Amino acid sequence: MQNIRNFSIIAHIDHGKSTLADRFIQHCGALTEREMADQVLDSMDLERERGITIKSQSVSLDYKAKNGASYQLNLIDTPGHVDFGYEVSRSLAACDGALLVVDASQGVEAQSVANCLTAVDLDLEILPVLNKIDLPSSDPERVLQEIEEIIGIDTTNTVQVSAKTGLGVEALLEQIIEVIPPPSGSEDAPLRALIIDSWFDNYLGVVSLVRVVDGCLPAGKKMRVMSTGRDHLVDEVGVFTPKRHAQKVLKTGQVGYVISGIKDLGGAPVGDTLTLVEDPASEALTGFQEIKPKVFAGMYPVDSSDYEAFRDALTKLKLNDASLHFEPETSQALGFGFRCGFLGMLHMEIIQERLEREYDMSLIITAPTVVYEVETTNGEVLTVDNPAKLPPSDKIKEIREPIIYADILVPQDYLGNVISLCIEKRGVQKKLQYLGNQISLGFELPMSEVVLDFFDRLKSASRGYASFDYNFLRFQASSLVKLDILINGDRVDALSIITHQEQSRNRGHELTAKIKEFIPRQMFDVAIQAAIGSKILSRHSVKALRKNVTAKCYGGDISRKRKLLEKQKAGKKRMKKFGSVEIPQDAFMAILHVGRNR
Amino acid sequence: MLSFETNPPLSLYIHLPWCVKKCPYCDFNSHAINKEAFPEAAYIDALISDLESELPRIWGRPIGSIFIGGGTPSLFSAEAINRLMVALRERLTFYHHIEVTMEANPGTAEVERFKAYRESGINRLSIGVQSFNDEKLKVLGRIHNSTEAKAAVAMAKDAGFDEINIDLMFGLPEQSIDEAMSDLEMAMEQQPSHLSWYQLTIEPNTIFYSKPPVLPDDDLLWSMQKQGQAYLSDSGFSQYEVSAYARHGTTGVDHQCKHNLNYWQFGDYLGIGAGAHGKLTHVAEGKIERYARHRIPQSYIEKITQKNAITETRSLNRDELPLEFMMNALRLNEGFHPSLFIENTGLPLSDIQKPLQEAEKKSMIEWNINKIKPTEFGRRYLNDLIQFFIK
Repeated sequence: MQNIRNFSIIAHIDHGKSTLADRFIQHCGALTEREMADQVLDSMDLERERGITIKSQSVSLDYKAKNGASYQLNLIDTPGHVDFGYEVSRSLAACDGALLVVDASQGVEAQSVANCLTAVDLDLEILPVLNKIDLPSSDPERVLQEIEEIIGIDTTNTVQVSAKTGLGVEALLEQIIEVIPPPSGSEDAPLRALIIDSWFDNYLGVVSLVRVVDGCLPAGKKMRVMSTGRDHLVDEVGVFTPKRHAQKVLKTGQVGYVISGIKDLGGAPVGDTLTLVEDPASEALTGFQEIKPKVFAGMYPVDSSDYEAFRDALTKLKLNDASLHFEPETSQALGFGFRCGFLGMLHMEIIQERLEREYDMSLIITAPTVVYEVETTNGEVLTVDNPAKLPPSDKIKEIREPIIYADILVPQDYLGNVISLCIEKRGVQKKLQYLGNQISLGFELPMSEVVLDFFDRLKSASRGYASFDYNFLRFQASSLVKLDILINGDRVDALSIITHQEQSRNRGHELTAKIKEFIPRQMFDVAIQAAIGSKILSRHSVKALRKNVTAKCYGGDISRKRKLLEKQKAGKKRMKKFGSVEIPQDAFMAILHVGRNR
Repeated sequence: MLSFETNPPLSLYIHLPWCVKKCPYCDFNSHAINKEAFPEAAYIDALISDLESELPRIWGRPIGSIFIGGGTPSLFSAEAINRLMVALRERLTFYHHIEVTMEANPGTAEVERFKAYRESGINRLSIGVQSFNDEKLKVLGRIHNSTEAKAAVAMAKDAGFDEINIDLMFGLPEQSIDEAMSDLEMAMEQQPSHLSWYQLTIEPNTIFYSKPPVLPDDDLLWSMQKQGQAYLSDSGFSQYEVSAYARHGTTGVDHQCKHNLNYWQFGDYLGIGAGAHGKLTHVAEGKIERYARHRIPQSYIEKITQKNAITETRSLNRDELPLEFMMNALRLNEGFHPSLFIENTGLPLSDIQKPLQEAEKKSMIEWNINKIKPTEFGRRYLNDLIQFFIK
């Protein structure tokens, strides 16, 4: 146990977390050169394409230290995007220490601060690492000062590395052994293993990543999932190196996987405790808070006959993503679908892409919304996650929207831009503090303003330098209205949004203008109107196509002309029909494109 | 298996794939000619063997029309064309009133040669004028000017052709409505018997596709078309297809293009020559097949000697026939008799009952026991109409 080190890497996107992890793997010889596809830990195609980590992953490495002893290093990789913050805290709970990786030229970012503070709360030993020191723009002195000032941790142990070139990586490994404490736990006590993550494998069933806190977990024995009281035979235990590597037993302090023939994720909930049937522990470990979705959107199959297939696809995705919520809903416009809950916009995009790529679904997604609290005139309080479900305005006493507290770190040069952005988004400034070259801003903002495009806008307002993290604060009454969209006079429920009274006129104008861009010209004029109740706020129209005829067709090779017609038809199939108007999928997401050029 | 009472009418298409130079809008199988190495005789030989190898497939079926297209067929000498025509007559049965069209370009027109073509049995000339505006002709990469275009039509008349088509385009780069109308007026002044007046469209694999010119916008194009159609109608030309206009005939004479009508009525056609496509019905086997030949002239000539010029044979299945039929037949302003569908696709009308009803509901066709006809609205959105018939 003394030779085990469990640690995780905290870093902002692009600060080189995955590259550093790859270096460790390479240095410890866990994979041959050939097996080293870049960034091996990001195993989903999507992760690699987007250069982000979505799911936590772990890898066990054997490291032969300079003192001659061999150490088992368990690295738990963590996601870096704000949407997936909950996975970070879970991963951290399995560790005894954490590397805080900071880009030596970019400096500390809000995301890392938040995650680092979580680690401090969990009593983890934090080892600062300055990465990318090979870049000419790196400024270690300044960044170290930032770490001390902003996060408030000691930086004497800091290691300077370049994950890209491999410079300093060995020194870092030595320092990990030196600084990060070995796990503490009782080898003799009954088994208690914390489930850090569970996922579904088509061949193996549920695979759980666990940390053995007390006792040991051998293969072949019966284990009990403490919350459900269910017993399962342990088929296999082992570690990822990062290849799956079976072992006889997971010992105290180790991080590894368990396979036990559990068929669904509910059978091995994250944060639960495993013990042995023959010698059960009396008390479970403290688990994790269940994470609640923040953004909701309706998802509908374009072809209504795909509904069942869609349900299957969602169910399968949920096997691997406990944070995805969905329940059936119907829309007058779109028919049968599901209201889905996501952690944030990135999460939503990823789910959408996975459904389209891995399950070949063609989907319409409605404008994302947050959850509102509505107090009716008869004193009832409703939770509304769908604008179409808002009661009639004469039945509403007040609508309360979720307010978040945003921590923003921004270099001085962009302070003005960022403040204007926050004010535009109805923010109220709570804090402004100078920290070295950066400024720490605190704003209270309506969550609805943050989930849509705030992150992108913040990035462009600061040329990518500002970073932020947020927490839910409270529900707060606000003058909110439902803005409806009418297509050729018919209200399309799936296009309704909830918006602030003062912004409604602008929103209506921008939204109808945007929807206009998405609707192709067709045989008739299409009028797009925005309305509150019966009051029309704005109108745009798509002029009818003058004609749609192929000029020439003389026998010969008509196959290309045929393909064009078939393509046109296929395009129409991907659209939804409202009366005689055909609306493409993208139009339902127009709200996300307001203020951007296509 | 499809069920046919009898064979549909049969036409013959002959492709002569050379041009003086390739035009930037043209996506046909045409190749710039190399005068020193022009294999005229070898190509005619190849066409004749090509035809001979096809004879068993069309045994006993008379030919209703022939179309010699290109390319620029008028690049071929009178002797070559005469040899071709003789060979055709020796091997095929012609209908008494057979229409034999040949394409000619004004830049290659000579009255003596036109006379010889006429004597060898060609009875209709289709002249690729495209525009009477010299500037536009330049932009289109044409080798002729307006004067030569007019001269070519006059020569055709002198040579004894009664049936003369002028190919004319509208919606040319930066064309104004006045320019488009002026082109039409000039065309009418030449008094052709037929006008193919079609909108320039940018096709893939052309120079215009990679370097798109500025074309008139939708609204302007629509005005050109409306105004042009009204003018043509006033000038005694009636539109019978999307882009085809025929002069009102004196009693008993119809100037519509028989050859193209056969395509639009989903008749059969044999296609010979480089890159030519054919469509043949096989009554006994209950199938309709499409054929394609090698596109490159030299390899076509070589492959013919090995009796191996066909690159692709495809049997049309039941699901795609309605679409292929409608892509053609609904182009006709007067539509078609329902029995034409049954006769030429070998399918029962019930196969298209549903799309017909849908199209009728949308007011895109009129439909009764004697006729299936696109409405004006249906003709305007013909592509949308045809799409009802995609399975």
